[in-house]
Parts: sequence; structure tokens; C-alpha cells
Amino acid sequence: MEVEEEKKFISLINDHQGLIHKVCFMYENDPEVRNDLFQEIVFQLWKSFSSFRGEAKITTWMYRIALNTAISGFRKQSRNVKTEDLKEMHFNISDSWSDNREEDIQRLQGAIRQLSEIERAMIMMALEEVPYEEIAETIGITQNNVRVRMNRIREKLKKIMCN
Amino acid sequence: MELEELKSLWKSSDPDFQQKDEVEIASMLKRRSLSIVDTLKRSAWFELSITLILSIGLLVYAFYLPAGGLKWTSISILLMCQVYTFYYVKKLVLLNRFNPAQENVQANLISLVDRLSSYLKFYQRSYTILYPVYFVLGLLFGGLERGADEFFENLVRPRTIVLLILIGSLFYFISTRFTDWYLQKLYGNHLQKLKGLLNDIQG
Repeated sequence: MEVEEEKKFISLINDHQGLIHKVCFMYENDPEVRNDLFQEIVFQLWKSFSSFRGEAKITTWMYRIALNTAISGFRKQSRNVKTEDLKEMHFNISDSWSDNREEDIQRLQGAIRQLSEIERAMIMMALEEVPYEEIAETIGITQNNVRVRMNRIREKLKKIMCN
Repeated sequence: MELEELKSLWKSSDPDFQQKDEVEIASMLKRRSLSIVDTLKRSAWFELSITLILSIGLLVYAFYLPAGGLKWTSISILLMCQVYTFYYVKKLVLLNRFNPAQENVQANLISLVDRLSSYLKFYQRSYTILYPVYFVLGLLFGGLERGADEFFENLVRPRTIVLLILIGSLFYFISTRFTDWYLQKLYGNHLQKLKGLLNDIQG
């Protein structure tokens, strides 16, 4: 029974590992810490897998656990990496707005990393086409609040990216 | 810059993710968790096991000792171990009340802040009681070792009383300050971060 459950879970992670990678990418710059976070998310998902009864969409459930782990449940070992990387990123994205798509993508990723951790979670889900209803359910705020905050986040991103 | 524009930019980004294979994923299910709650639980279990082993050892040792100072010393330490056992069990009960990360982000943060605050309060209250007990026990054992009569004779002298109050206060001040600093370093910063995140959601 447990073996069947494990097989089912591994296959689920295999199918949706992009989602976990994206959360890790949003919250950690250091590849080693990112890998630790990936493992921790998988572990936390596994711990909760037996109690998942399909009331929510599987991706909503995965986002909820992945974000909870990345935002509040995970204590990373190396603490200075993030600040230094952010400083560097801020420096990179302060250059002028370019026509190069690759550079724009990097600017967007860098700009998102300068948002607060909650804002990062919201914009990431919005960019992944998660409906506002599910974002509200995952974060624990109203849909109206999501709308208001998304406008603010968009403004913030615009400001960071165009500076 | 509209959200749709950002979405299209986001979708064209393809960070170089290292895909994990099934064997790697399976091995992740058997590893130790790095979450703050699981780390705290592990250390509480370790402390509880050491205390229980020490208690059993002391009980056997005290049982075979002839009546006298050493027997009473062992029994006093054994009693302290029982207080500690209760303390670690209570710590584990508090930690087990943490819900797994299944709730929404806000509910999970509220629960974590609440539980971690109670845990730290309990920790602080415990050492506020235990440090003076350590001091008195240390003083008693040290004094009795040199002879009970001389010890009690010295104890009633005003100079000794003033000196003991001074040393006791200094010991209490330094040890509580050190523990406060240690707790802040270990868990306090994480708690502050969680409170900040909660303010961000509710703000």
C-alpha cells in the first residue's frame, strides 16, 4: 500500500517538478540552498500527501505547501548569499531598459526578487496563469485584496524595471 | 507595462532547472527535514533521551550507595532530571501542536508565530526558575563538601549573605542575558521574520 502511494507521489512530483523548481528559483539564489529547499518542499509534500483528499486542485495544494515551506518553514544554512546577490541584481537592473528579450527576462526575474516574499508568491502565481480565486485561497486573503495588491505589485515592478 | 506583457516575458524565460529523476525524488522522501519545527523536535528528543538515560544510570547508582551525602546528592540530581523530563515532554507537546504546512500562507504564519512565541515564552520561564535552582544546588553541594557545620556557620554571617546575594544576582543576570541572546540568535530572528511576513499579508 505504502509502495503504491510512494509510486503515485513520485510520479506526481515528476509531472509537476517545474512548479517546485520555480518556487525555489524565486526564493533562493544559491544553487546549493535552492537544492535543499527543493528537497524540503518534496519532503513536506510527501508528509501531507496522505491527507490530500482532492478538495483543492493538485497544483493549488502544491503551491500552498511549496510556498509555506519556502516562506516560513525553511531555515537555510548560508544566510548572506541572498543579500549580496540582491545587491548585485539591483545593480544589474538599474541599467537602461533594453530591446534584448533575454536581458528583459533577467530584469524581470531580478525585479521580482526585489519584491517582498509575499508579493513574490503572488506575482509568480499570476504569471503562471493561476486564477485570482486560487491565489486568494493559497495566500489566505480575499480576491478583491488580490486584485488591489496585484496592481500595486505591477506598479512596483514597472518602477524597478524602468529605473 | 501590463500583466499580459509580463506573462509573455515570464513564459519565454526558461531557467536552467536540473530535472530530478525518480530515484532522486525517492531518496528525498527518506531524508531529514530542515524545517524549524522538525529541527526543534529533533533536539528536544535528543535532550529527553539523554536525560532519561542519565536518570536510569543515577537511579541504579543511588540504589547501591550506602546512606550518606553522596546518596542524597545523587537523589537530588535524579529529582532535577525528573523536572527536566517534564520540561522536555512539555516542549515536545508544544512542538507537536504545530500544524504541517497545509493551511493557506496567512493561516500558517499565524499558527507558526503563535506556537513559536509560546515555545520561546515557555523556554524563558523555565530557565528563569531553573537557574536559581542550579545556583542554590551548586552552593549546597559545594558547601556540604567542605563540612556541613562550617557551611551553616558561614551562611548566617552578614558578610557571606551580602556576598551570596551579589554573586547570585551576577550569576542570574549573566546567565539569563546569555540565554536570551542565544535564543534570539537561534529562533528570535526567525520569529521576527515571520511577524514581518504576517504584517505584510495583513497590511
